[in-house]
Amino acid sequence: MTFAEVFAPIAPEVTLLIGVCAVFLIGVSKSAAVRAAVAPLTLLIMLGAMVATATCATTDAAGPVGLAFDELTVYIRWITLAIGLLLLLVNWHVPADGEQGEYFGLMLCSMAGVLLTASANDLVVLFFAIELVSVPTYAMVALSRTDQRASEAALKYFFLGALSAAIMVYGFSFLYGVGGTTTLFATGAVDSLETAFAEGGAINAYAVVGLLLAMSGLAFKVAVVPFHAYAPDVYEGAASPLTGLLGFLPKLAGFVALIRLLSVCQWDLPDSLMWMMWLMAAATMTVGNVLALLQTNVKRILAYSSVSHSGFMMIGLLVGPVLGEGPMHDGVAAVLFYIAVYGMMNLGAFAVLAMLQVRGEAAESLDDLAGLSQRAPVLALAMAVCAFSLMGFPPTAGFLGKVYIFSSAFSLAGDHPFHGPLVTLAVIGVINSAIGAAYYLKIAATCFVRQPREGLGRTEGSMPAFGLAVCSIAMIALFVRPTDLVDRAKNATVSVGQSSNTRVATVDQPHVPHVD
Amino acid sequence: MDANVITTWASLILLLPLAGAVISGVFGPVALKGRSHWPVLLGVGGAVAGAVTLFRQVNGAGDESQSVQVLYEWITTGAAGTWFTVNVLVDPLTAIMLLVVTGISLLVVIYAREYMRDHGDPVRGYERFFAYIGLFVFSMCALVLGGNFLLLYLGWEAVGLCSYLLIGFYYDKPSAAAAAKKAFLVNRIGDFGFGLGILLIYLTFQSLDYSAVFAMAEAGVDAAGDPISPGRFTAIALLLFCGAVGKSAQFPLYVWLPDAMEGPSPVSALIHAATMVTAGVYMIVRCGAIFAASPVAMAIVAGIGAFTAIFAATMALVQTDMKRILAYSTVSQLGYMFLGLGVFAAEAAVFHLYTHAFFKALLFLGAGSVMHAMGGKIDFREFSGLKRVMPWTYATMLIGSLALAGFPLLAGFWSKDEIIHAAFKHNAFLGVVGLITALMTSYYTFRMVFKAFHGVTRVPEGVHAHESGGWILVPLCVLSIGAIFAGYAGVEFHTGAFLGIFEPHGWFHHFLEPVTATFHAFDVGHEASHEAASGFVAHMSHYGLMYASAALAMIGIGIAFVMCLDSPMLLAVIRRAFPRAYEVLYNKYYVDEAYGQWIVDPLKKAGRICVGLDTFLIDNLVRLVAFIPRAIGWALRSMQQGALQGYAASMAVGLALLLVIVLVQAGT
Repeated sequence: MTFAEVFAPIAPEVTLLIGVCAVFLIGVSKSAAVRAAVAPLTLLIMLGAMVATATCATTDAAGPVGLAFDELTVYIRWITLAIGLLLLLVNWHVPADGEQGEYFGLMLCSMAGVLLTASANDLVVLFFAIELVSVPTYAMVALSRTDQRASEAALKYFFLGALSAAIMVYGFSFLYGVGGTTTLFATGAVDSLETAFAEGGAINAYAVVGLLLAMSGLAFKVAVVPFHAYAPDVYEGAASPLTGLLGFLPKLAGFVALIRLLSVCQWDLPDSLMWMMWLMAAATMTVGNVLALLQTNVKRILAYSSVSHSGFMMIGLLVGPVLGEGPMHDGVAAVLFYIAVYGMMNLGAFAVLAMLQVRGEAAESLDDLAGLSQRAPVLALAMAVCAFSLMGFPPTAGFLGKVYIFSSAFSLAGDHPFHGPLVTLAVIGVINSAIGAAYYLKIAATCFVRQPREGLGRTEGSMPAFGLAVCSIAMIALFVRPTDLVDRAKNATVSVGQSSNTRVATVDQPHVPHVD
Repeated sequence: MDANVITTWASLILLLPLAGAVISGVFGPVALKGRSHWPVLLGVGGAVAGAVTLFRQVNGAGDESQSVQVLYEWITTGAAGTWFTVNVLVDPLTAIMLLVVTGISLLVVIYAREYMRDHGDPVRGYERFFAYIGLFVFSMCALVLGGNFLLLYLGWEAVGLCSYLLIGFYYDKPSAAAAAKKAFLVNRIGDFGFGLGILLIYLTFQSLDYSAVFAMAEAGVDAAGDPISPGRFTAIALLLFCGAVGKSAQFPLYVWLPDAMEGPSPVSALIHAATMVTAGVYMIVRCGAIFAASPVAMAIVAGIGAFTAIFAATMALVQTDMKRILAYSTVSQLGYMFLGLGVFAAEAAVFHLYTHAFFKALLFLGAGSVMHAMGGKIDFREFSGLKRVMPWTYATMLIGSLALAGFPLLAGFWSKDEIIHAAFKHNAFLGVVGLITALMTSYYTFRMVFKAFHGVTRVPEGVHAHESGGWILVPLCVLSIGAIFAGYAGVEFHTGAFLGIFEPHGWFHHFLEPVTATFHAFDVGHEASHEAASGFVAHMSHYGLMYASAALAMIGIGIAFVMCLDSPMLLAVIRRAFPRAYEVLYNKYYVDEAYGQWIVDPLKKAGRICVGLDTFLIDNLVRLVAFIPRAIGWALRSMQQGALQGYAASMAVGLALLLVIVLVQAGT
C-alpha cells in the first residue's frame, strides 16, 4: 500500500492532528494579533476536516492497521465535526489570552479522539482513542477559568478518569486473554474477537468479567451510575461553555465504544450482563433525575440531567440494532439520533449560561436566571427551547429522541426473555421524563416568571450567540423535519453487528408509535 | 396538475409568511422597528402569488382537480413504513380557501401598516403585531393545505394560539387580557372534542391521511374492512363538530367572539371575521364523507346553525358598539354557513364563506377606520353623522353594509339566498328562520350605518375627526369592489331567470363540484323524503324566494331608516312597550352571567379544592419522596462532600457490587 492509500481513509483525523500542531505553535506567538487568529484558524481546520470527511472514501477502505471504516464511522465523524463547530463557537472567548493555542489545540485533539474511536478496530487503538478524547479535557477544565474550583475539578476529573481508564484496560486484557487477539472485527484472514465470540461458548466467565470491566470503564465516560459521581463537581468547576463539551464528546466516544464492544458479541450477551445494563439504566435515569431535583445551581442540575440522559440512551443500547428497521425499532439508531440531539440541546443550555454574568461573575444559580425574559427575551426563549427539548416536550427534537428511545424498547420479540424487562425499563424512563419536567420547567419558569436580579448582564462577544442560535433553531427544525438525521442514524447501524433473529420484532402495527 | 409546481408553491405559501414572521419578530425590535411590516407584507404577498398559482393549476386540471403531494416523511419507522407524512392536499376547496386567506391577509397587512402606527403598544408593539400576523397566515395556510388530520389539528391549534395572542395584544389592558383568556378557554372546550374526534378517526380507520380515511368512509368500511355503524359516524362527526362550534363561534360556545373585539381592528377583520372562524366550515366540507354519512349529525349541524343565526341576530339588534354588532353579525352569518352545510348545500356554505370574507372584512376595517378617527371610541352613542367627515370610509362601509344586508345584486345577496333556498328545500321551518334572520340582519346593519354616519355630525370631545390615509383606504376600496362583484363568481346569466338574467348557480359551484359531490351523493335519499314536508317550496320557485328575500332586505333597511333617522321616538316607544325584552337582548340573554354562575364558579370552586389538595397532599408527598434521597445524601455525606477518595471509593464499591451481581447471576 502506498502512503496515500494508507492515509486517505483517515484524512479527517490527519487534518485535525496537523491542525493541533499548527494551533499549538501559533498559540505561543509573541504577537497578540497572531494569537487572536487561533480561534478562526481552528474553525478553518474543522471545516477542512469536514471537507475531508465528505471527500474521502471510507466504507470498506483499507487504512492503517487497527482501523476499520463503516457507516457508523461516517455518521460519528459528521456529528462530531458539526456539533464540534458549535462547541468551538460557544467556547470562542473562553481561554485567556496566551492560552488559546493550548485550549483550542486540546479541543481539536479531543475531537480527533472521537473520530478515531469511531474507526478503531483494535482494543489497543480503541483504548488510545478513548483516552485521546478524555486526557485533553482534563487540561481544558483547568484552563477554562481562573477559579480555584476549576483546578480542583480538573484534578478530581483526572484522577477518577485515570482510575476508570485502568478499569477499562484491565477489562480489555481479559478480552484479549479470552479471544487471543486484540482485533475487534475481521478485515481479512485475521483472527478477531468477533469470530472468537461467535464460535459459541467463548463468552465464558472470563469474557463476562472482561466485558463488565470494559463497560464499567466506559460507563465513567458516559457518566452512568455508579460511575457518575464526578460529573456534578466537574461540570460545576469548569466554565459553562466547556461544560457543553464535557457533556458531549466523552459521552459520544463512550457510546460509540460501547456499541462497538456489544456488536463484537453480536448483541448476544449473557443474561447476567443484560441485567447489569438494565440495572445501570434504571439507576442512572432515576438517580440523575432525583438528585437534579434537589439542586439550585443550574450547572449541577444540568450535570445530573446529563447523567439521566445517559440512562435513557442505555435503553436503546440494551435493545441493540434491529436490522432493516428505523429508529422507532432500532435501539442503536435511536441512541445515535438521541446523542446528536442531546449534544445540541445541552450545549444550548450551557451557552445561555455562558452568555450571562451577574456583577461580573459567571451566571450559575437559578437565581441568576430570574427574570431573564425581561432583560434578554431572545436568550430566555432559547433557554426555554433547550429546556423543553431536554424535557422531551414537543415541538422539539428532544421529544422525538425520547419517542424513538422508548418505542425501540418494544421491538424485542414477545418471547424474548428481555421483552418484559425492557418494557418495564421504558415505563421507568417515561416516569423519569415526568420527574425531569419538574426541574426543567423550573429553569424555564425562572427565566420568565420571576423578577430579574440586580446586575444581570450579557458577557462580551457575539460568537456564542451564533452557536446558541443554531442549537435552539435546530431543536425546532429537527422536530419539524427529523428525516435527514434519522435516515443517517438508521443507515449508520447497518454494520454494527448482526442481531440475532430473536430480536426482530413481530410488531402488530408497525406504523403505530407505541409511546408518545 | 404539475406535481412539482404544487410541491414548490405549497411549501412557499407556508414558508414565506413564516419567514416574514420570524424576521419581523427577531429583527423587528433591534433593527427594523417602524419598517417591521415589510417582511410580513412581502411574505404574505408571496403567499398570494402561490395561492393564485395553485388556483390556476386546479382550475386548469379539469376532472383531475385533486392532488396530494408528500412534502416529506415525518416519523419513519424503517422497513415497516411511515407513520406520518407531511403532505398537502390541493383541490378546489383548498384553492378557494387559500385565495381568501392570503388575499384578505395581504389587504389587512397593508391596512395595519397605517392603523397600527397609532394603535400599537408603545413597547415593542408594532413588530410584535406583524410577527403574530405572519404566524397566523402560516398556521391558517397549514390548516387548509394539510393533507391529513394531524396537520389540520396542528393548524387548528396554531391559529387558536395566534388568535389568543392577538386578542390579548394590548395585554396591559385588563379587559383585553380577560378576553384573550376567555377565547382560549372556550376554544379548549371545543378543541377537546375535536381532538377526541381525531383519535376516534384513527381508531376507526387506522390512518389520519385524508385520502385513506375518506376513501374508507365513502365505502362505509373501517380499516379491517368491516362496515362502520351509523353510530360511529355520528360520534366522529359530532366530536369534530365540537371543534367547529368552538372555533366558528356557534351556540353554545359563541361567547368568546364578541369579547374578542378587544383585539386590534385588523385582527377582528382577518381572524375573527374572514378567516379563522371559518375554519369550522372548511373542516366540515373537507370531512364531507364523514358528516354526510350521518343524518343525525347533519340535522344537528343545521339546527345549531339556524339557531345561532337567529339568536345572534337578535342580540345584534340592540348593541351600540359597532364592532360588537359586527361580531354578533359574524356569529349569525357563520350560523348561516352551518345551516347550509347541515342541509347538504356545501357549495352554498363555501360560497357564503367566500363572499362573507369580503364584506365582513370590509366592515371591520371600516369600523377600525372610524375607531382610528374617533380616538379609540367605537360606540355610536358617542358620535354620529360621520359621513361628511369620513366620506371614503362611509362609502365603503355603505357598500359592505348593503352586501351584508343581502341587498340585491351585491355579494351577500347571492350566497345567503342560496342557503335559505337550500334550507327551504330541506325543511320549511329552517328556511323561515333563515328569512327572518335576513330581515333582522338588514335592520341591525343599517341601524349601525344610520346611527354612525347619518344625522347631526357629532364627535367625542377632544377628538380631531379625520379621514384615514391611503394605506387604510386602499384596502377598503379593494374590498368594496369585492363586496359588490365577488358574488358574480357564482352567478350565470341567462334569460328568464332572476330579474330576467341572473341564474344563481354558476362557475363557483361547478368548480367546487368535485369536493361537494359527497354531500350530493348522500342527499339523494334525503331530498325525496323531505319533498312532502317542503310542499311550500314546490309552489314557490327559487326566483320567487329571491324576490322575497330581496324585499325583506329592503324592508329591513326601511325599518332602520324609520326608527333611526325618520322618527327616533318610535324606537323609544317600542323600548318602553317591551322593557323586559330590550333588557334581555341588551344583556345578551344573560348567557355570560349564566355561564359564570353555572359553569365558571363551580369550576373555580373545584379548582380551589384541587389547589388545596395539591398544597397539602401532593406537596407533602413530594417532600417525603424528596426526603429519601436527601437522607441518603446525609448518610453518604462524606462521598457527597467532594472528597476525591470518597468518589473513588464509591466507584470501586459500585464496581464490586456489579461484579457480585453478574457473577451470582451467571452462577445460577
